[in-house]
Amino acid sequence: MELSRRTLLAGGFAAVLGGTVVGCSSGMDAGSTTKKNAATELTLWCWPGGLGKSVLDDTVAYFPDPKIKYSEVGGDFKQKLITTFNGGTSIPDITGIKGEDIASMLPQAERFVDLRTVGADAILGDYVEWKVKQATTLDGKVIGLPIDIGPTALYYREDVFTKGGLPGDPAAVAEQLKTWDDLFAAGVELKKSNPKALIVWDATDLYDIVVGQGTERYVSKDNTFIGDQDHIRKAWDTVVKAMTLKIDGKTASGSPDWNAGLDQGTVPAHVGAAWVALDIKSAVKSSVGEWRLAPTPGGPANFGGSFLTITKNAADPAKAFEVIKYMLTPDNQAKAFADAQIFPATPSAYDKPQLKVADPFFGGQVPIEIFGPAAEAIPVAYEAPSDVAVAQPFKDELKTVQSGAKTSDAAWSAAVSKAKSIAKRQGVQ
Amino acid sequence: MTGTATAPAATAVPLTGPSSGQRHRRRVRSYWRFYLALSPFYVLFAVFGLYPMLSTIVLAFQRWDGLGARRFTGLENFRFLIEDPTFWLALTNTVVLFLMSTVPTLVIALVLAVMLQSAVRFTSVYRIGYFIPNVTSLVAMAIFFGSVFSTNFGLVNAMLRSLGIPEQDWLGQPWGIKIAISTMIVWQWVGYNTLIYLAGLQAIPRDQYEAAKVDGAGTVRTFFSITLPQLRPVILFTVVISTIGGLQTFTEPQVMVGNSGGTGQSGMTVVLFFYRAAFLDNDYGYAAAIALSIFALVLLFTAINWRIFRGRGEDR
Repeated sequence: MELSRRTLLAGGFAAVLGGTVVGCSSGMDAGSTTKKNAATELTLWCWPGGLGKSVLDDTVAYFPDPKIKYSEVGGDFKQKLITTFNGGTSIPDITGIKGEDIASMLPQAERFVDLRTVGADAILGDYVEWKVKQATTLDGKVIGLPIDIGPTALYYREDVFTKGGLPGDPAAVAEQLKTWDDLFAAGVELKKSNPKALIVWDATDLYDIVVGQGTERYVSKDNTFIGDQDHIRKAWDTVVKAMTLKIDGKTASGSPDWNAGLDQGTVPAHVGAAWVALDIKSAVKSSVGEWRLAPTPGGPANFGGSFLTITKNAADPAKAFEVIKYMLTPDNQAKAFADAQIFPATPSAYDKPQLKVADPFFGGQVPIEIFGPAAEAIPVAYEAPSDVAVAQPFKDELKTVQSGAKTSDAAWSAAVSKAKSIAKRQGVQ
Repeated sequence: MTGTATAPAATAVPLTGPSSGQRHRRRVRSYWRFYLALSPFYVLFAVFGLYPMLSTIVLAFQRWDGLGARRFTGLENFRFLIEDPTFWLALTNTVVLFLMSTVPTLVIALVLAVMLQSAVRFTSVYRIGYFIPNVTSLVAMAIFFGSVFSTNFGLVNAMLRSLGIPEQDWLGQPWGIKIAISTMIVWQWVGYNTLIYLAGLQAIPRDQYEAAKVDGAGTVRTFFSITLPQLRPVILFTVVISTIGGLQTFTEPQVMVGNSGGTGQSGMTVVLFFYRAAFLDNDYGYAAAIALSIFALVLLFTAINWRIFRGRGEDR
């Protein structure tokens, strides 16, 4: 028999196919056995800027044995973590998990150490309750300790507001703009004298914040779809109202128009988390000192904020817990804020001198006076693992209302039916 | 490659003759160096190409959230795919974007190539100039084009304003998104295709043109009767390459209008839809099914192109 190209290819193909099947079947039961890491060093993963530099350096120096080996993992962090978990080797002892990913990690709680088994109960009270809840499974395991949070506030241009006949002083703004309706009414008022200044930067961006102000989201604790109920419809209608009043600037945050509009006064206000201050500061030149902060109309919401977790592969979970406990004390959270604007998840840090600093960017206002009370008042809401996927159709369909392609009611029923089928796919009743 | 390496060897081996199996084995053994020299590509391809591809096929029949246990679900992923309106929307968007970008790209490239060939001065400067967009970072360019098409402070609207035409909300309207994305693709790929066409043009024998001139053919007649038919294989190549690239459009819409695909999901291409299923919704089995549909789509379009551009050539 000739060794033809065909037989060679066929043989190679069969070999690889066989390998694939074996590889897959062995991959399937990898979860049941957990290999412990070597105790010679303690590996710690986080993304760039996730932890304050001085706190990190201090922690590394404070725990010399075993030495902490910190890896800064850039790019898609969750994806790299998942890939490493599947690979089964080089899994870090301690790893950061971003706030938007924590819900999808909860079903994998068996890959992480329940922090309550290593003594977390004594310190969990230091952190805001709703944030700890995000890292708590339905059966009560706590898999992560909060690094930071993202309480929202209303950012606005004092000069644009006063010129448009609105109050400029933060206290007066807080007094007048208590609800979304108040904000929209002020927006209509502002537009009369200044037609280019639209008070809502982008109504579809606002939607997530309005949903975040509620105590329920798209899927309930008993895993049923509740995205078609009143609480979501009310958030939807609020956003649509901003569109119909024509005070919607349609400039998504971070877009070139948004960046330019902050200075030009066409984006006179923004509702966003504490970290949005960094984006605004880096985008503006001429409006430094004209910005002010007021409480979010309709109550605070949260955007972002991460956790440190200990994997089951950790050589010494108790030791690893000592490390994260030390790194995330109220004192160190205040330090991280001074370092890199990482907003503390521990209310007692709000009284530290590092947070009491007045900010000339906000005309000498002390940001913590707005963000501190907001952080403690954020509602606890259950976020299902399927939340991100189920929420998507609502945001997609709102865009069609925004562009005028669909009526609100048509888009709503399309969103609900799409969300229902995605929810069903994700195993929601 | 393997074929040419073993063919002379077959005659050189003395036919001591017992069973063919033994002969077969000995031949493999005595030429192991050749196989070793050939192996790096095949080993790397098997590990980084073939294995992931086959895993994708297996995964398309499973439910997997990326970390937990994989569960075999048969054709469920495909059933859901067929019923998913977003998938069909993504498919339509992809084909529309492909046509909106590939047709202008190839037409402009051909015109440029003909012009470049008759250009006398600075030819290398032009060639480099046209090729530069192709080697520029895609993400940087998408951000740049996003700015160019932005509503209030974009270059395109500034131009419209100066011409007295009302400005458009380019990235906020379904058709505007498609125009912005395809403009960027055209801008990026015209230079590459121009160079390929230019190489093709230079391979056409000059005496054909001279003969046409003697017969009294004008420039246009010469272009359609000599240049185009002679370029057919080159055009087939560019069409196939553009098809494969164009049906996998991802970075441009993702950076310009985000993971949602923008207004009316107008920038939602099949690859973006795949990305969303896998890396945002953690639905890897479904994503694998989408990936297979992209494969089928590319195969289908390549076959159609092949038919159109080769079939006619064989008829003559």
